[in-house]
Parts: sequence; C-alpha cells; structure tokens
Amino acid sequence: MTFITLRDSLTAHRGLTTPVVWALVALALWLLLPLGRPGRAFFPLNYDFHAFALPPGFYWLVPVAAVAIWLLQTTRLISMDRISDWQAALALSAAGGVIFFLFGTGTHFGWGALGTVLALLVSAGSALSSNSRIRGDTFVGASVFIALVFVTVFIVFPLLLVLRTAVWIDGTLTLSQFARTFASPLFLFLDNPFTEISEMGRVTTMIWIGAVTGAGLSVWRTGRIALSWRMIRPIVIWTLSGMAIGWALGIMIWGRGALPSSLLVACIAAPGGTALGFALALLGQRTRSKPLRGMLSVVSVLPFITPPFVIGFAIIFLLGRRGMVTYDLLGISPIDNPLYGIPGVALSQILGLAPVAYLILRGSLNGLNPALEEAARTLGASRWRVFCDITWPLVRPGIAASMLLATIESISDFGTPLVLGGDRNFLATEVFLALTGRYSQPEAAVYGTVLLAIVALVFVGSRVVLGAQGFTTVTGKPASGAFLPLPVWFEAILTAVALFWFVFILALYLTIFYGSFVQLWGINNTLTFQHYREFWQVGWPVLWYTIKLSAASAVPAMMLGGLIAYLVTRHRFLGRSYLELGSLLSFATPGTVMGLAYILAFNDGALLMTGTSAVIVLALVFRNMPVAIRASMAGLSQIDRSLEEASSTLKAGSGVTMVKVLAPLLLYPLLAGLIFAFVSAMTSVSQVIFLVGAGNNLATVLLLSWVEQGRLGRAAAMATVMIFGLLALILLLLVVSRRVDVRNSKKGMK
Amino acid sequence: MKFKQTFLASTIVTGLMPFGAVIAQDGGQVNVVCVVSEWCDAMKAPFEAATGYRMEYLNLRSNESLVRLRAESSNPTFDVFYGGTGDPHLVGFNEGVTEFYRPANYEELNEQFRNAIGETYLPLYANPIALVVNPQVLEDAGAPMPESWADLTNPAYRGLMGMADPNSSGTAYTVIATLVQLLGEEEAFELLAGMHQNMAEYTQSGSGSLGPVGQGELGIGVIFMASAVRDKAMGFPIEIVVPSEGTGYEIGGISLVANGPNPEGGKAFIEYALSVEGQELGNAAEQLQIKANVNATQAEGTPDLSAINVIDYDFATYGDPELQGRLIARWTNEIFPVPRR
Repeated sequence: MTFITLRDSLTAHRGLTTPVVWALVALALWLLLPLGRPGRAFFPLNYDFHAFALPPGFYWLVPVAAVAIWLLQTTRLISMDRISDWQAALALSAAGGVIFFLFGTGTHFGWGALGTVLALLVSAGSALSSNSRIRGDTFVGASVFIALVFVTVFIVFPLLLVLRTAVWIDGTLTLSQFARTFASPLFLFLDNPFTEISEMGRVTTMIWIGAVTGAGLSVWRTGRIALSWRMIRPIVIWTLSGMAIGWALGIMIWGRGALPSSLLVACIAAPGGTALGFALALLGQRTRSKPLRGMLSVVSVLPFITPPFVIGFAIIFLLGRRGMVTYDLLGISPIDNPLYGIPGVALSQILGLAPVAYLILRGSLNGLNPALEEAARTLGASRWRVFCDITWPLVRPGIAASMLLATIESISDFGTPLVLGGDRNFLATEVFLALTGRYSQPEAAVYGTVLLAIVALVFVGSRVVLGAQGFTTVTGKPASGAFLPLPVWFEAILTAVALFWFVFILALYLTIFYGSFVQLWGINNTLTFQHYREFWQVGWPVLWYTIKLSAASAVPAMMLGGLIAYLVTRHRFLGRSYLELGSLLSFATPGTVMGLAYILAFNDGALLMTGTSAVIVLALVFRNMPVAIRASMAGLSQIDRSLEEASSTLKAGSGVTMVKVLAPLLLYPLLAGLIFAFVSAMTSVSQVIFLVGAGNNLATVLLLSWVEQGRLGRAAAMATVMIFGLLALILLLLVVSRRVDVRNSKKGMK
Repeated sequence: MKFKQTFLASTIVTGLMPFGAVIAQDGGQVNVVCVVSEWCDAMKAPFEAATGYRMEYLNLRSNESLVRLRAESSNPTFDVFYGGTGDPHLVGFNEGVTEFYRPANYEELNEQFRNAIGETYLPLYANPIALVVNPQVLEDAGAPMPESWADLTNPAYRGLMGMADPNSSGTAYTVIATLVQLLGEEEAFELLAGMHQNMAEYTQSGSGSLGPVGQGELGIGVIFMASAVRDKAMGFPIEIVVPSEGTGYEIGGISLVANGPNPEGGKAFIEYALSVEGQELGNAAEQLQIKANVNATQAEGTPDLSAINVIDYDFATYGDPELQGRLIARWTNEIFPVPRR
C-alpha cells in the first residue's frame, strides 16, 4: 500500500519519470556497491575497490551522467513525449561513452559497475523508447537496449576478436595466414602429383560445364535472348552460380582436405537426414498404427539427449572393421570396411539429423489444413496430384528450413569426425586441431572464419532460393477434418524404413548399455558393476555439477530467448535484424570457435571470468538461447495479436501484456524451450572444452577424456545414466504437454 | 505504470545475470592442468595431507593444455602444468608461458633426462615409442609378427596399420624424428612412404590407434609404450614390440606456470610430484612410464630403458619449431597424398 502511494507520488511529479528513477538507481548502486573486484571472484564484496577508494578516473562519469539525465528531464530540455533522432543520437553516444570508458579503465567489473551499467541502460532505453525508431513503450525500449548489449558483448564482440586474430598477426594487418591456410593441403588439396589424373583439369572442366549449364538454364527459363541489361543480368548470375556449383562438385569428387570433406558430408547428410525425417514425419502424422506413433515421438528425442562420442563408438562396435554386423554377420573383410571417413561421418550425421528434421517437418505438416487436401480429393484429384500440388508446396518451406539447419549442423559437427573421420580432415575439427596440434591461434581463427563464411553463404542462399514467402494455412479457427491416410503400399514402405531405423537406433543404444555392464567392451564380456562404481566415485560429482550449471544456464537462456522472440516478432525497431543475426551467429558458430572466442574475450578486462563457472554458464546461455527463441517464436506465431491489442487498449503496457497475457499462453513452448536448453547444455562439448577449469569440469569433457584413455566402460556407464535421466525429463515434458493441450482445448470449447 | 514496466524489465535482466560459485583463490589452493589424469587422481589426497594445500585439477590433452595456458597467459588460472609430452612444455617455456623452477631434489632426477632437455622444464617420466600389435589380427591375415621398423613396409600388413597424423599429434612427430635420427632423412622418408602403403588410417590423437588394435580393428599401431603396457594389463590381447633398430622416446614434463595465482603452492606441488613418494603414486595408478626420480621404485611392467635399444634422442635439435615444421610439411606433401594401392 505504502509502496503504491510512494510510487504514485514519485511518478506524479513530472521530474521523476522512468529514466530519472533509473538514473537514480544507477547512482545509488554506484555509491553503495564496490565498483570493481580484485580478481576473478565476485564475492565477497571488497570495498577497496569502491569508486572512492580507486584512483580518480572515468568512473566519475557515472554520477555525472545520472545527474545530467535528471537535470535534462526536470528542465524539460528533453521531452519524454517525442524524442527526435538527433536527441536520441546524442543521448545514446553519451550513454555509450560512459559505458565504453568504464570498460576502457581495465578495472574488473564488480557488482557496482555491473549494476550501474545495467541501470543506465534501462534508463537510456526507457528514455529513448518514444523515439520513432524504437516505437514502443518504456518496457520495449529498455528490453531492446539490454538485448542489444547482451548480444553484442557475449556473441558479436567475442567473434570479432576471433576475426581479428585471423588477420592481426604480430601487430600488423595481414592476410598472410589466409593465404597460407588456403594453400595448405590440409585445407584443399587438388593437384596431387602422385595420381595419374589431373584433378585440377577435371575441376576446370566441371566449372565450364557448370557455366554452360547455368547459362543454358537461364536462357531456357526466359525463353528468348535479347541484348538488354535486364536480360543479361540473370544470365550472368546463373552462369556464375553454375561455375561455383561446378567447382564445388569438382573439389568434392576429386579434391582432398578439410573443405571438400566437410562440403561432401554436408551434401550427403543434410538431404539424407531431411529425407529420412520427412518420411518419419509423414508416417507419424498419418499412420493408423498407434504404437508406431508413440515409438516415433520417443526415439526422435534420443539424439538430443545422447552425449557426444558415445554413438560414434556404438557405430564402430556394430559396423566397424570387427563390427558385430559388418564382420561377424556379413563377413566383410576388415581391410575393405569403408566406415571410417566420409561414409561413417555421413551415416552418423544422418542418424543424428533425421530427428531434427522430423521435429521441424512434423511441425510444418501439422500446420497444414486437412480441408485443403479433402477439397482437392473431392474435386477428383488423384492422391499423387494432391501430394504434388497441395501438400508438397505447403511443406516446402519446412523442408528448406530443415535442410538449412541440417547443413549448418553437419558442417559445424565436431564430435563425429573426431571419432569416425579416419584420416579425412574436416573444417570443424581442424579449428580444434590447428589450435591443439599446431598451436596456431591465427590458423584456427582462419578455419573458424571459413566456417562462418560457409554458414552465411548457405543462409543467404536459402533466403534467395526460398524468398520470404509464407504459407500459413491454419487460421485461428479450429481446423476440422482428418488427414487423408497414406496409400497402403506407401505406408508399408515408410513403415519398413521407420522400423529399420528404429531397430538400428535400438541396437546402438543397447550396445552402449551392454558396454557399461561388461568388463572390457568387446574383449572380456564378464558382467560387472565395476564401471558404475567407478562412475559413482569419480563421475557423479562432476555430473551433478554439470546438472547444476546446465539448470543455471537454462533459465536465463529461456528468459532471454523468450524476450528476444517477443521483441522480434511483435515489434519493429532499429537493430531488430541485428538481434536476429546475433542469435543466428550464436547458433551457427561452431562450438570450438565460440569457445576460443570466449577465452579471447573474457580473460582480461572488465568481464574477467575465465576459469570460473560464470563463463561456462554464459557460454551455455548464449549457445542455447536460439533454441528458446525458436520455441517461443513458434508459440508466438500461433497467438492472435488481437489479444495483445485488447490488453493494450485496456492500458496495460507491453511488459504487463507479455507477463500476464502471453506468458501463460506460451507456457508449453517456454517450458519446452527451458528443457531443451537444459538438455543441450548437458550434452554440449565443443563450446565448453576450452572453458572448463580446475574444479569446474563438465560431464561431457570428462567423458571425452575417459574415451581417450580407453576407459570405454566407465564412459558408457556415465552415458547410460545421462541418457536415462534426460529421457525421463523429456517424457515428463511430453506428459505435461498433453495435459496443457487438454486444458487449452477445453478452454477452446467454451 | 511506466516505472513498474521497466522494473519488470530489470527483474528479467537480473534473472539473466548468472553467477555461480567462483573458484576460490585464497592461497590455499593449487590449480593443476593435468595430462595424466589417473596420476592426479592418485596424487590429490596424499598431496593435500602432506602439504596442507587443496588441489584442484583439470584433465586436458598435452597440446590442449598449452593452448589453455597460452590463451590465459595474461591472467593465468593454473599454477602447474603436469604431465604430457615434452614439446608443449618446451614451447611454453620458450614463449614465457611457463618458467623453469629448480626443485630441491633436482639432482635426484635422471641425469640423462635432465641433460637432454636442459633447464627448460622438469622431467617427470620417460616413455619410449613402440609398436603395439594384436597377434590374432596378424595371424588371421597370415602376416608375421613385426620385429623392426623395416618390417613395417611388408605388403602383408596392408590396411592393418595405424599411426597418428603429425599435423595434429606430437606422437607422430616423435616417430618421424626418431626415424630421421636413426636412418637419415632420405631413408626415413622412404620407410615412411612404405609404411604409408600399409596404413588403414592416420588418427588425430597420438594414442588413437591403441584402442583399435586392442579391439582387433587394426593389427599394428605406433604409439608411446606406457599406455599399451597398461592396456595389456587390463586384458586387451595385445603385445608390445620395440623395433630392433632402436627407438625414440619422450620426456614427459612438469612446469611451473608463469605468474600463476599461487606460485608457492605450485612450487610445493612440483616438489611433491618429483619426490620419491609422489613419483611412486603413479605406479598405483597404473602409470607405467619410466619415473624420472632415480630413487623411486619403478612399477612392475615398466619398460626398462637399459634393456631396450633407445637412441640418443636429440631434443634440442628436433624440438626446434622450424625443423619440426619442415619435416611435417615434407610428410604432408610427399607421403600423405600418395594414393594407396
């Protein structure tokens, strides 16, 4: 009660607007808390690092800024009602300057500095919210600012440091490391003097074939030739793309090295995984067999909850040179076994990517309106016609999305090539090996840059090919009718594929469980609990610590992800595409590159954190935030804006609307985002492998070192515990989702 | 209303401020980056009891450890770099990431090891290169047991051999340097070209061929001996062969990290690790490398340097990054791309 009257009296006074209140908060934090900290530790508070105790410096800009904001507001030099661009720019550069100088002092930020910076950000954000480029209320303004700063500090800035490492060598700006890496046979090896054929010649031929095909296609598409720029431009573009594709195909077939290997595997695994995922999704949606549907939804989550490396080993035990299937069953000679290299990596990735594709395509298939297919059938179209003309065009965006995701995941995959790559190099592992095998930070940075460039190219390419077309067929009204069942023979084929896949996956997991109970996997098959005892002693404390850190990272990942999803889908503001780009970067950047970036960025200066759990948590937050963004976006897209309009008509601000209207409706997507962020934090390895510290080890990194020491039984035991634990969690989520669905549909009935 | 709104924004933000337990740096703790993790497991309790320090360690591969130490060099979190092959210790010393510390019992350390590496890092153990063989696999293929480096070019071993890639592993470079010192560069590369024809694949990790040989995927692997001795004791059906021409070895090291958070603790740890007691703790943990402290009892099964034909490995010459870079580049350009028949 008193709080409300206090607040009313505060806000009633014209001078005490939101920005002023937050400027005062910044001032208070600056006065009350120590600005810096002596070393890595945030606790205990050390008042030797209070602003008054430090030598005079830029810290004094903070009270100056706070007082300035207060003065400007009370004297109405800045009106809250409409802030022009130049006023905004001025205020922004002032706030930016304060923060910049605070960072520039080199003081390790303590609670005082962190709190002050955040409060100043909120103050500036809410002050600028009425500017036409943000177009929101104070909540939106403040959130936009904070999201932008977080994305900059924890995603963009570390990555820029990596790029700088690639071109800034020994104090000079140079492209020499790029030249050296591109010339290295580890990157791309074309002109092999030891082979009969001339690889270079063949690739050149491929480029010419590509050029001719591209030009031909473009002419064929337009149907005529005329000498005008409008006609020539597409011909040039098509010819050049044809040449690029010809070159890529050529190096994939005849070249060796990391670039062709990674491209080739992506070209096999992405379509393969998507095709398998599509088959499973189609089956899951339309099959008449209930157990099949249940099986699909359970098995499809397995790859997400499986710690890396373990599946690779299971594949070796089944399909390796002495594998149970390949050697014992099929009798393939160990020398002729093709597993290691491209086939093994591609196979393993297809298994891992199919469920990802399944989930995406399941979503886009469920988004179809059955009435469309029914109408087409009623009008006399054949099933095949219906599929070609109705279903396929509508799921095409889903297919493209899944191809894009699968390509990116395949290229940045780290664990699989490490286990199954044989002597082929891959880009994502080469980042790691350049660092750890050749001690070369610049070379690792160059590989990282190449990976980023490829990912960007794939992304842009998919945008160009697909365009920004939307295919929403579900309206707010409940869709009626059921989907057409599949033709019997087709369902039989799909079921066979699904069953084969299911049996294979099951065999892989059984191999792991079995491996955790036998003395010496593959050699001595005496049953034993020894590995579990060892796991309990050595592994459990680390696993428990990993669980705590993952949980600590999942909550902020979900909150920040939800907030960004809300801002990006519901508001138009300057910097929106930057937020999208940032979250894309954090997801698409190979983990090893991100890990390197975090070491470079947070080993010194204001945000000194390396070696602490804080840096691991932050790395996991920003790595897994995109998962939460996607989950929340999917949920948001299904909520009609009229609800929010109603809320804001009733004078609720967007913050209140978000918490009171959207969040309850988004309960399930947010929960799913939370759980998936937790799960992927538990199983991620490449981004934390450089960040773990003494007494700060994580389960996956421990697993890797056991695998390298040949302690496969113990590794299998820990993997088994993790798989069952995470599976239980996901099943719980499925149960909850069903209850939420029921509740929602009951509401809908009223 | 507006104030309430931003208050909401700020609660979301504070929810975003993850902070967890931070490693204590109260001077009572020694942070060790540890390559030989089982040895560290065994060291923890006795070291803490003997010195009163707390010990925390992180297990990394040897090269990775150097990368970590180097990346953190402006603000190190570790005090000691413990174990792992000599090259990263040497590079670390040359770059100033680690510094030389002379322990009280320096004279007790094997003189041959000390002289080989000079005052750069401290010798912790030695570990010879050897062939690890799965006799059953060779028998199935009708191939004889190998006895020498020269035997490895025998076409009977086609597709049965594994070795690490020198571009990613120090082990493989040690093999190349050993052969060059044994045979001269030209003959060594001829031998490597012959071995190349028999390779199933080059692995990324130095001991990458040990597991496959134990599992019967491969017949012969070229690796450091100690882990093979341990695996044999664990029950894998493998044999260890020291090539008759002689073989090279690594000198595993221990280094004090420069400007570490707790230098006194780091020094105490090094003293303890090189003491008879600390060295013998490795035996219990199945660390079968040759311990550097001459007074320490060697574990049963430890290779005996005097019994095997070990070459006088020139660490100074072959540890030089320039020569190393040239030999690896030569291998990468002349051996690796040759198609296998």
